[in-house]
Amino acid sequence: MKKPIKEIGVCSAVLWVLTMALGAGSVCLAQDKVVKVGNIIPLSGPSASVGQQGKNAREMAVEEINAAGGIKSLGGAKLVMLYTDSESKPEKGVAEAERFINTEKVHVLTGCWNSAVTYPTTAVAERYGIPFIVPVSVADKITEQGFKTVFRIAAKDSWWTRDQFAFLRDMEKEFNAKLEKIAFVYENGDWGKGFAEQWKELAKKGDYKVVLDEPYPSTATDLSPIVQKIKRANPDVLLLVSNAADAILLTNTLADYRVKLKAIIGSGGGHADPSFLQAAGKNAQYLFDIVEWETDVNKPGAKEANEKFKSRYGYNLAGESVDAYLAMYVLADAMERAASLDPVKIREALATTNLGSGRGMIVGYDAVEFDKTGQNKHASLVMVQINDIGKGMERITVWPKNARRAGYQPVFPMP
Amino acid sequence: MTRENLQKAFLTLVLIIVFGLPLILRSPTYLHILVLLYLYAYLTTSWNLVGGFAGVLPLGHAAFFGIGAYTSTVLYVQYGVSPWFGMVLGGVLASITGVMIGLPTFKMRGAYFALATIAFGEGMRVMVENIDHLGPFNINGPRGLQIPPLNVGLANLMFTNKEPYYYIILVMLIAVLAVTYFISRSRLGYYLNAGGEEPEAAMSLGVNVARCKLIAMAMSSFLTALAGSFYAQFSLFIHPKSVISLDLSFEIAFIALIGGRGSIVGPVLGALLLRPVSDFSRIYFGATLPGLHLIIFGMVLILVMIYLPRGLQQPLTKAYNGLLNRLDRRSR
Repeated sequence: MKKPIKEIGVCSAVLWVLTMALGAGSVCLAQDKVVKVGNIIPLSGPSASVGQQGKNAREMAVEEINAAGGIKSLGGAKLVMLYTDSESKPEKGVAEAERFINTEKVHVLTGCWNSAVTYPTTAVAERYGIPFIVPVSVADKITEQGFKTVFRIAAKDSWWTRDQFAFLRDMEKEFNAKLEKIAFVYENGDWGKGFAEQWKELAKKGDYKVVLDEPYPSTATDLSPIVQKIKRANPDVLLLVSNAADAILLTNTLADYRVKLKAIIGSGGGHADPSFLQAAGKNAQYLFDIVEWETDVNKPGAKEANEKFKSRYGYNLAGESVDAYLAMYVLADAMERAASLDPVKIREALATTNLGSGRGMIVGYDAVEFDKTGQNKHASLVMVQINDIGKGMERITVWPKNARRAGYQPVFPMP
Repeated sequence: MTRENLQKAFLTLVLIIVFGLPLILRSPTYLHILVLLYLYAYLTTSWNLVGGFAGVLPLGHAAFFGIGAYTSTVLYVQYGVSPWFGMVLGGVLASITGVMIGLPTFKMRGAYFALATIAFGEGMRVMVENIDHLGPFNINGPRGLQIPPLNVGLANLMFTNKEPYYYIILVMLIAVLAVTYFISRSRLGYYLNAGGEEPEAAMSLGVNVARCKLIAMAMSSFLTALAGSFYAQFSLFIHPKSVISLDLSFEIAFIALIGGRGSIVGPVLGALLLRPVSDFSRIYFGATLPGLHLIIFGMVLILVMIYLPRGLQQPLTKAYNGLLNRLDRRSR
């Protein structure tokens, strides 16, 4: 029954038709007087929630920028946003970066949240010389690849872990408590492993005893084996890196098993996700989390921006979305100074950014300024505690002490 | 013109078109999509040696792909060995692994074999994710390996534009199709077919079914690993979730099922349908409604399964034959 020659013929016929269709589709659309921004973010898959928040924050910022007259030095050019779904997969990110640069002719790229997607994608941008703004992807390596076109707004992960341990020390001092045993539980991806590696060193330096070092898959539907291990190891402090679904699952399972701990410290991401507070509710009480931004930050415009965001999308701004929001203002500022759509000029302008004011500057630190590697020098972090002080569970800034919400006394150790 | 000649003319025309394509289609975007399309057609054709001809359903081929990708990358990044050499070595390693997996699992039937291979693929991924160093080799756990885009050139299988990749994978695809073609007409091909459909009957006629399956597995895993090395050099970044993922194993099987298992043209047809559906639905719908493109992909899959259970190759082969007959009659 097999007639292979014929079959090869069939396959070639289809190949031919398809190629024609592709060719017809590749006619590029010429447009002037707009700044095209290609955004590669996870809109489906395990990081979809965070990707969607980033998209909403970008939309809001760009609407504001365009409504305020666009890029004035370019004759009021508007920012035009293109979004694509990376599905948290590096190969999709790379394919989309290629398409954005070659077919859509974008002037700037942003993304990709997942560090594993950001590495190869920034490499594509570097090859074509297209500036790439990374609002959040915390792996240190991203700005240590020697690339000239990559600019990161968020703090890198070595700063996050450094501040988590500094916070622990300060709390021990303030509350005269002694913490000895420490447990690390983290998602087994790039992000979690990166954190854990640095924790191990910091724990050694800080003279803590590591009683558990446990990576787990973020897609797990049952984390009770992990929780049992935690219970058996009986640590004082539990450090976590989780995505949204597993952060919820882990917190609720810890409560189910009544695991007694002195402190639980999250690393943003899933713990900072709006869905976390909704789904974990009371179980999340007293948990600490490290973030770049909190709604109670003492900065003009922050409250208004958050209220606008909340009324539009139904949840608060978070560290990730604020970085995305700010990234658009950093871009607008650079475009204004570049006064050109030439990627070389845009890159130059981004490299000399010193943005200290404006609607987008709702972060806790004073200015956005990039060092030679493209890292935002001033990015800083705060610790929050989840607690109910009469208005339901909320996130309350507790550290550094000068940023602590007025009148709030942290609960430490956990009762 | 006779029928034979018509077919040859047609084949030549298609070869001219696919080889000439990069001259017309200059956009790296579409070349990138085409490279991935050929890559998947290649992978599925390699898979087809076991999954199609031998009549079993292996769902762990991503493991071989990963072996290829990691072998060439580790050797290149750490020791500067040319990826071409790493490619072949990866193939050999994969083939040894394939035989070792095949020995115990080929005794299983149907779903059990499929499950065993899934377990093998997933086990492999979990291992790589949790191992940072394998002896002297740094495989970097879940963070994956990056290939610095320096030293561009054929010797390093690394190029700045897409055309060389396009031609390399095209030649690989044609080669693997030719291999399949010859195997399907060889004694091994007939043995495999017989063993796949009626193993007892084949064995009673003296066919060593197990041995044939092992040979097919060795070839299939060897070829799959070559594609892994190619992919690593093409994307310059690999990590366990991208090269040893269950998604990849499934996609290969999907393409084969949609195109038509066990036929030579099936894998190519499947890739021609599914890859563009996946890419273009993501491009056009990826940003509008999150996840919609995956739903569309699933819908296409379901529809083809319902209406064309033997794959796309069946109606298309029929149409092609009809066309040939008409041309044949007219020319006479």
